[in-house]
Amino acid sequence: MSATDAISSIVFYAVAALMLACAVGMVFARNMIRSALLLVVVLSGVALMYVLLSADFLAVAQILVYVGAIMVLMLFAIMLTPNQVDLSGGTTQGQKISAALTAITIGTIAVGVVITHPWNLRPTALNVETAERIGMLLLNTYVLPFWIASILLTVGLIGAIVIAREE
Amino acid sequence: MALAPVGLQHFLVLAVILFCIGMYGALSRSNAVGILLSIELMLNAVNIMMVAFARYINTQQELAGQLFAIFIMTVAAAEAAVGLAIVISVYRLRHTIQVEDIDLLKG
Repeated sequence: MSATDAISSIVFYAVAALMLACAVGMVFARNMIRSALLLVVVLSGVALMYVLLSADFLAVAQILVYVGAIMVLMLFAIMLTPNQVDLSGGTTQGQKISAALTAITIGTIAVGVVITHPWNLRPTALNVETAERIGMLLLNTYVLPFWIASILLTVGLIGAIVIAREE
Repeated sequence: MALAPVGLQHFLVLAVILFCIGMYGALSRSNAVGILLSIELMLNAVNIMMVAFARYINTQQELAGQLFAIFIMTVAAAEAAVGLAIVISVYRLRHTIQVEDIDLLKG
């Protein structure tokens, strides 16, 4: 095992442990602000995972879009709905137990499939300039989804303004 | 040290566990913003899978997984904006965002 492999394993396990701990904390936190801030840690961890997966463009986009924009939106929504900051334990015990059972069942099945499936792995590591190639692909092969995504974003944001504005 | 080199399965298992944590949150929370936060976690877990497949799977279409991740990110941004607008609008009308209290359409 080379030095680079060893470093990336250590980084992977450390970041994965941090992400899992913060995700569990986020789900169980009673305070919504604390929950949102723990999600920020998880989303930054996702950006580090993208770096480990040699997706540098996506790592930057993750920081800009998720940690920058979406989480600010979430924090604004939490602050614009006062008196809802603390969860009042509204859900029943039965709902929590069935939610846990659903998550554990699906998780067990998915982990089993993922581990046992014979994946067709590439012989050499992915080594391309991601930003340049993604730009070319978006404007050639994937130009129709790119257009649809642009229209969806425009319509979605105008719709959000119309729904949220005062009458 | 007995650390195995990180491979495709490591990332997939991490993503599955994150997805299930997010699913538990989405199903058990009663605060509408909390549910939206959990859904963001689930979407990010799927994105990790997409990028891991782009990195490790042998295919003609390199980077297709990363493009899927970009489109998921775009749709997630639109979803968060519309979802939070609905939450704020509901709070203005009903002064609550606990999902079991929002039962106007219940017969």
